[in-house]
Amino acid sequence: MSSEIVIECTKVGKAFQLYVRREDRLWQVAFGFLRRFYREHWVLHDISFSVRKGECLGIIGRNGAGKTTLLQVLCGITKPTHGTVRVKGRVAPILALGAGFDPELSGAENVLIGGAILGLKRRQIDARLNLIREFADIGEYFNQPIKLYSSGMIARLAFAICAHVDADILVIDEAISVGDQAFQAKCEAFIQNFAKRGTLLIVSHALEYLEQVCDRVLWIEAGYVRECGVPSSVLENYSREMTLTPVHDGEAGKIRRMA
Amino acid sequence: MALLSSEPGIAERSSRYGGVLNLFVPVERAWHFRDLIRAILTRELASRFRGSMFGWMWAVAAPLVLMTGYTIVFSGIITVAHVGAHTTFGTRALLIFSGITIFSLVSELLYRGPVLLHEHASFIKKSIFPTETLAWIAVLRGLVYALISMAVLLLFELALTWQIPWTTLLVPLVILPLLAFLLGVTWFLMALGAFTRDIAHLMTTIVPLMMWMTPIFYGFSDIPERIRPWMRLNIIGDYVDMFRDLVIVGSIPSLTLYGACCAFSVATFALGYVFFIRYKSIIVDVI
Repeated sequence: MSSEIVIECTKVGKAFQLYVRREDRLWQVAFGFLRRFYREHWVLHDISFSVRKGECLGIIGRNGAGKTTLLQVLCGITKPTHGTVRVKGRVAPILALGAGFDPELSGAENVLIGGAILGLKRRQIDARLNLIREFADIGEYFNQPIKLYSSGMIARLAFAICAHVDADILVIDEAISVGDQAFQAKCEAFIQNFAKRGTLLIVSHALEYLEQVCDRVLWIEAGYVRECGVPSSVLENYSREMTLTPVHDGEAGKIRRMA
Repeated sequence: MALLSSEPGIAERSSRYGGVLNLFVPVERAWHFRDLIRAILTRELASRFRGSMFGWMWAVAAPLVLMTGYTIVFSGIITVAHVGAHTTFGTRALLIFSGITIFSLVSELLYRGPVLLHEHASFIKKSIFPTETLAWIAVLRGLVYALISMAVLLLFELALTWQIPWTTLLVPLVILPLLAFLLGVTWFLMALGAFTRDIAHLMTTIVPLMMWMTPIFYGFSDIPERIRPWMRLNIIGDYVDMFRDLVIVGSIPSLTLYGACCAFSVATFALGYVFFIRYKSIIVDVI
């Protein structure tokens, strides 16, 4: 692990615009410079942390704590409302695996588009198409439309793409649990290999796995950084709290109480 | 401001120019993402006729049938319509078809613009997707169909009048600013359409009206002198007129008109881009 910092988050906050009525969106576009037509809904508050090159950072937190939003901000998919994010290198987000696929297109075509979105040149993608096909290992389905895939196959394809784009930073959002054991083993082997040279961000609820892989763990609670440090101690505190107060006053808590 | 990590150079440069009208930023970004644009464009073109037996034949058949129909109707059955002073056999059909060629390109983008981001919502929300490239893809796709239509037009022109004026070679000079105009309009509609679905409905309501406001089934010379200057304000009509001059009449359009259209189109291009970029970061949250 080098001392070079590749991800630096400084006081990052994110508020979504909540519109009470549908037409308020139009008013916001037309007259937004006069007044605000939405309510701010804050999902991230003053998040500050940094990740060094080659480090593996685990992110934990309850459902709705803001983990995915944080990853989206880090990847540049959505902009923070305040604060700064500095990221060095190419990020490959494996967010909600395969959600960016077009169901009408074949696996191969989705690889072309997915690779292009991640910034690969056409020549590079063509050269790697076979490697991706082998890694995904879905046989004849590779040339069939995605809509015929099982969810496991979609996950395999998505992981295969992200594994072959020469990412400097790999962002994995609860991804590995989808495939069967054989594929999980393959992914874990890849991740372990990747961790030797690249930077990893992993969101997962599999605490043992995080303890095994991560150098540090970031615990996010209701949009704030609750703890950040050595995996063993953070994970221990986290699991203790989870067993003590299973229902929390967050969004997820409310829903659970209603059910 | 977040620096987009996958494209550091480009992101930095475009953020430095911020809201300043800079024509090179959108072009440079489109060039940077040319492989992505090509990948999506080819699959959109390829998938349009996938599953049909005749495939691409349909893309040629539609304008071919339309043109044949116009030729029959406007050179025999109906003699009421005057398109300018050029009413020799077949030219009337050619004039109308050339108008339709340009207007179809425009209307396709007016219809698609507002729903473009919704069509690609999964890309936008789940990956680092340069949303502004969708306008380039839509415009280029429209251009492909317009080119097929133009080829059919030239074929019929050759068959009906035995000649194609040399000024046809100048057509790219008219199409280019038209594409810039359409890109600007598409960016504008994309951003608005992301916030409210009403824009799409508004378009389906006003595009047919626009078709009759545009000199397609008639020419500029058919319009009463009094309101002709006002009709010139409709830039789509001007493009139709210039296109007709070059391809069918064989004359060079007024340079004042051409210059004015170029200036207006480039301004639309720049303003549309700035408008879109202003709302780009919010769009991913609202779509």
